This record gives sequence, C-alpha cells and structure tokens, in this order.
Amino acid sequence: MSAGLRDIELRSRKTEILMVVTALMFSIPLILGYGLLILSSFSKEMVTNLNPKDFIPTLRNWFLFFEGRTAVFGGIRVNIWHIVLNTLIVALGVSFLVTLVGSMTGYAVSRLRFSGRKKFMALLMLLHAFPGSVMVVGIYFLYLMFLPSYQMVRLYSFFFVIVARASLEIPMATWLMKGFFDMIPWEVEWAALVDGASRFKVWRRIILPMVKPGVAAVMLFGFLAGWMDIIYVRTFLVDQTLATWIESNINAEYSYLPLVAAAGTFYLLPTIIFFLLAQRLIFTISATGVKG
Amino acid sequence: MTREVLGVAKTNLFSKIKDFIRSDAFIFLFPAIILIIVFFFIPIVVSVYMSFTPLKNWNIARYIHEFVGFENYWRFFYMVTHDPTVRPIFITTIVFILVTLAINVLGGLGLAIATFFMGEREAGSTQLLWLLPRMTPIAVYSMIWYYFFHGSAIGTLNSILMSLGIIHKPIDWGQSIIPWGPWLIIIFVNGLVGVSYGMIVFTSAISNIPKELVIAARVDGASNWSITKNILIPLLKWHIVYVTTWQMLSLLTTYDHIFLLVEWGLVNRYYGTTWALYIYNMAFTAAEKDLGLAAAAGVILVIVGAILGLLALKILGFDKMVKEPRGDI
Repeated sequence: MSAGLRDIELRSRKTEILMVVTALMFSIPLILGYGLLILSSFSKEMVTNLNPKDFIPTLRNWFLFFEGRTAVFGGIRVNIWHIVLNTLIVALGVSFLVTLVGSMTGYAVSRLRFSGRKKFMALLMLLHAFPGSVMVVGIYFLYLMFLPSYQMVRLYSFFFVIVARASLEIPMATWLMKGFFDMIPWEVEWAALVDGASRFKVWRRIILPMVKPGVAAVMLFGFLAGWMDIIYVRTFLVDQTLATWIESNINAEYSYLPLVAAAGTFYLLPTIIFFLLAQRLIFTISATGVKG
Repeated sequence: MTREVLGVAKTNLFSKIKDFIRSDAFIFLFPAIILIIVFFFIPIVVSVYMSFTPLKNWNIARYIHEFVGFENYWRFFYMVTHDPTVRPIFITTIVFILVTLAINVLGGLGLAIATFFMGEREAGSTQLLWLLPRMTPIAVYSMIWYYFFHGSAIGTLNSILMSLGIIHKPIDWGQSIIPWGPWLIIIFVNGLVGVSYGMIVFTSAISNIPKELVIAARVDGASNWSITKNILIPLLKWHIVYVTTWQMLSLLTTYDHIFLLVEWGLVNRYYGTTWALYIYNMAFTAAEKDLGLAAAAGVILVIVGAILGLLALKILGFDKMVKEPRGDI
C-alpha cells in the first residue's frame, strides 16, 4: 500500500501464492466469525453452527429490527431509531472534539518551540499507560459531583460522555496530526508569518486547509472511536446506544438471536463503509499515526 | 546557599510558566491541557483519595469524609494472597499479558513479512482484513466470538470439531476447562485486536528499508528466508522493541474487549478477568460496589503502569526520537 518498497521485481510467483494461502489460513476464524454473523442476520435461525439446513433466507429480522420489535413474542418495543440517533450523537460529538483538539495540539507539537515540548510529547505517550478502568472510576466520581438537576441529567450525560471519551483519543489524534503537519514545507508558513499574520490565523487559514487528508483521517477515527465505544457509554450515558442495547439483549430470555445479529450487522456498517471508501486512507494514517 | 539555589530554581520555573502562557504554543495547547488535567490527572488523584476511604456503592455523601488509612491496601494484599476468587485474577493477568504479547508481536511481524512478499493488491486486502478487529464496534466483536466459542452446539468451534468427529458433545470452553479454556478465549480475542498494531508498525518500517538491499540480495540468489533473517529482522530490531513495550502497556490496561465476554458468561468470571477488568467490575457491576478496594487495586495498577511506561521510554531512547522543530521563528 505504501509507496515504498515492494518486493516485486524478482519474487517468484510460487512464493507469493504460498504466502497468500498461509495468510488466508490464519484468517479463517476471522472470516468465519464475521461472515456467519452477517449471514445469520438474513436467516431464520442462527447459522453459527455451520449447518446449511439452518440457513433459511429471510429479511424478517431486518424488518423487525427497524420496527423496533426486538422480541418476536410479547409486546417489547423500542424505538430503534432513537438508539441509533444516540449512538450517532456520541460518535459525531467525539469526532468533532477530537479533530479540533488534535489538530491544535498536533500543530503546536509539530511546529512550535516551547519549553517542555519534549516532556509534553513523552507525557502523551505515557497517557497510554494510564489504566482506563481506574480513570473511569475517578471520572465517575467527578460525574456524580457535578450532577445537575433531574431535568438536565440526560443532556449532561451526553455532554459528559462525549468530552470524556474524546479525551482518551487526544494522544492518538495529536501524533496523527503531527505526522501530517510535519510534511508541510516550512516556506509556506514563513511567507505568511513574515507578512504579519498571527500564528493562530496562519494555522486556521493556511496550514489547516493543507492537511485536509489528516483532518479527514482524525475525524474518521474519532467517529469510529465514539461509535464503537461501550464502556464509557454504559457507565455515563443515561440513554441507550446500539452497544448497550446489544449488551442487554444477547442473553435476555426474550431475545430472538437472528434479530440481534441483524442489529450487530447494522452496528458494523460504518466500519465496513469506511473500509470500502477509505482503504488507502485507513492504512496510510495507521502508519503515520504510530511513527515518532 | 541551598536556599539561594532553591530560590533561583523557583523563579526559573515560575518565569518558565509565565513565558509559556505568553507564547503562541499556549493557545494551541490550552484545550488539550485542560482535557488531560480533567480526564487523566484529576481522576487518578480522586482514585488515590478514594482508596483511603471506605466508600461503598457510590454513596459519596455518607463515606467520603471517613478515613481508613491503608486498610484497603492491606485488604487487597490479603485478598490477593488468600482469597481464591481474587488470586486467579493475578495469574490470569500475567498469563494473559505474556501469551497475548507473544502472539501480537510475532503475529504482527509474520503478517508484515508475509505481505511484503505478496503483490500489492493481495497485501492490501490482507492488511485491511487484519485491521478489521480493531475498528469493529466492541459489542459486535464480542458477539462474534461469543457465538464462535459458545458452549452449546450453536458454537462454531464446537460444531466444527463435532463434524470432524474430534469431540462427540459440545464443550463449554470458557466455563468447564479451567483455567486454559477461558485463558485461550481471552487471549485469542485480544490477540486478534493487537496483531494489527505490530503489523502496521512493521509494514511501515519495512517500506522504509532501502530497496537496493533486497534487490542485491535477490540478484545474489538469496532465498526468502535468508532475506527475512538477514535483512528484514535485523533492520526491524528497534521496532520490535517498540511494539513489544507499547503492546505490553496496552495489555496491562485493556479490559473492554473482555468485559462483555465475562458479563455474558462466555468465560469464567475468575479465570477470564484481568486486573484492569476486576477494578471496573468491582466499581460498577458488583452487587456490593467496594470502591475503596477498587481504588486501592487501581492505584497499584497505575504505579505498575507508570513504572513500566517510564522504563519503556528509557529503553526506546525517547530523547533521541524527538527532534526539535526546524527553523521556527
């Protein structure tokens, strides 16, 4: 994928086939796991037992899911679109905040000389060693300390979960954006600064438009981080998201499993869409994101 | 004289901070600094405080002004050494970290090298496939492996083994084969997530290796194996150390991918729980939420993580890694 070295010139065809087959063999559980989940969502029975007789194609699971009838019997109904909307709000909120803070911090770390710069970068790496579960305990304490009146709690919990979850992604977003800022020639910036523009203005008007792929990448990663999260959502958010809905439905007595499989497949969609649309981007960013 | 030296140091620090606030960098760093303080540092301080109180069930108003000194810590040490429900968690954490780490590093290295010998398209698809676990919503990812390892005949692994005639009735992998059943499952599930990290780092490192080296070796008739052994691996040494230390820290603190597997009863509660997850469950899902104990266990984990983290930065030579920005005005 990268523009760099590929061992094309003198490699034998046989080796290549051997490598592909080996890689494929190790990938079997992965392909099987994802494939069976998606297949089950279109079947009357779960097909995870690999029995072709159980595969009875139907779209009923999807209809039931979108109608919010999460159990085939009994009157259990949820507004599934509401749950999707909640998930979306969290994901978009995290994405926005991560992009904003990440592109500011990344710029400072890439371009500015300030005392403690090295220490700050070391700190960003060390934050990775902070145990998430311990932080959640402390953060929940803060959450309770600032709990507003009853009417405001739902709104507060959305705000809180977005800011708290976005904070976790700051180190990633900063390193990623730093990689993109590092690639812009200094001359561009010098020209603007010599003309008397302030640093902030230069960043916003000139530099930021030049790192659009980077911004897109951080937005995408931020979105997925918010979209996929379960721990922060189940701990802080009053409302349900797709994650907590699946959590509470998988071994509930009334659950109709192929329907839960449909919910899971639906929940997986953004990941798949991003993979189809932005393959190149995902891989290049993943690569720049981890370079010092 | 010491006092004078201290005085100088103090004004230095003070003026440093003042300089920093006046500098351009301050505007750009302000949001990040606030968020890091509020959501990383204060929670840790709060946890330290909580570990000295008898806080239970989040009843803050009642317990927060009581102090019990180090009692929670003694209780925790006592439980680790004596309680048969807590001790497994430590053995599990150690086994989990060591085995998963080996899988992550070797698997990542294997994938990076294997894709190096492939054509561009095959390489791209393989890499994307292995990135999938990291990008999948955690609930869906847990669900996939829940069905894969399920203890009844609906489980994929059981039905494969049964149709091959290796076993005759379904095995409850996570609950009945203690301890290796649950260990195998949590290691497998986290191993797949972690492999992609090593793969990405190694792939981008390989793509920076001068092309001439490999071509020259090929012309000399070197085999794939000798190219791997004599060129790729030696040039990846630093990256291997980097991935190993970084992954180790990740594994020490990870808990979200195992959380649902324990909650859904796929794996044994004691042999499927790691230290980090134990803290979360003690604070949020246990019947009696013993927060003093959870916080004490957490503080010790923070200390272990910080020591390992600092050690990692030392080993990796972080100072040399960071370059000063060029030509700043």
